[in-house]
Amino acid sequence: MFQARILDSKIRKLIIKDAEKFISSSDFGASIIFSGTVRNSNNNKLVKGITYDTHDALVIKSFDEIYKEASEKLKILNKAVFIDHAKGFLDLGEISIIIAVACKHRDEAYILSRYIIEEIKKRSPIWKKEHYHNDESDWLKGNPLVHENN
Amino acid sequence: MNIKIELFGAARDFSKQNILELNVENNSSLRDIRAKMIEYIKKNFSNNENYIKIINSSAFSSKENIIISDNYKITNNEKIAIIPPIGGG
Repeated sequence: MFQARILDSKIRKLIIKDAEKFISSSDFGASIIFSGTVRNSNNNKLVKGITYDTHDALVIKSFDEIYKEASEKLKILNKAVFIDHAKGFLDLGEISIIIAVACKHRDEAYILSRYIIEEIKKRSPIWKKEHYHNDESDWLKGNPLVHENN
Repeated sequence: MNIKIELFGAARDFSKQNILELNVENNSSLRDIRAKMIEYIKKNFSNNENYIKIINSSAFSSKENIIISDNYKITNNEKIAIIPPIGGG
């Protein structure tokens, strides 16, 4: 079971309940819901919000690839995975990403949840522009795209 | 021929629009497009080194959403996307 979405913050906010509902099943004994939120400082600068930019088609493609790899590389076959990522401006404390996983046992749930977020950081075309209290803003530097076929 | 480059992340600062349109030689490769973009930055942003660094460290994708190599041949009116260094999540 897999669902992945990019949600425009002007239209719809990320909600943990959506994730709980999707992964809920008596097939699984362990579930983990990870959420990332906008924090108030970065690199000694006071942050008041972040704009997320996404290449929607490539992001969804990367989420799909990461999900499939979890079966092949991690050998976690029975699972439910839910990924929501925000785009647009988010205020402090708002949720930018939810990764919810459900597996038979806790070991595989922890491995899967960590694997997904680390791969997203490396491979999904998502960019952050931080907005500071002095009214300046900056795109965060990031890392060159690592592609599975490179 | 004309090509369109969809801008994302830090590359959005290259233009007030979401797309950069360039006129390039027929049969240009992605390598030629990078060079043309750097030329555009030198001309319009007084040689902005950060912008040039972004172009050199970016990946590009085709309209089929496949990451393309520097040898990829661009066709007339093709729309590609620049994928600057990423850092979301």
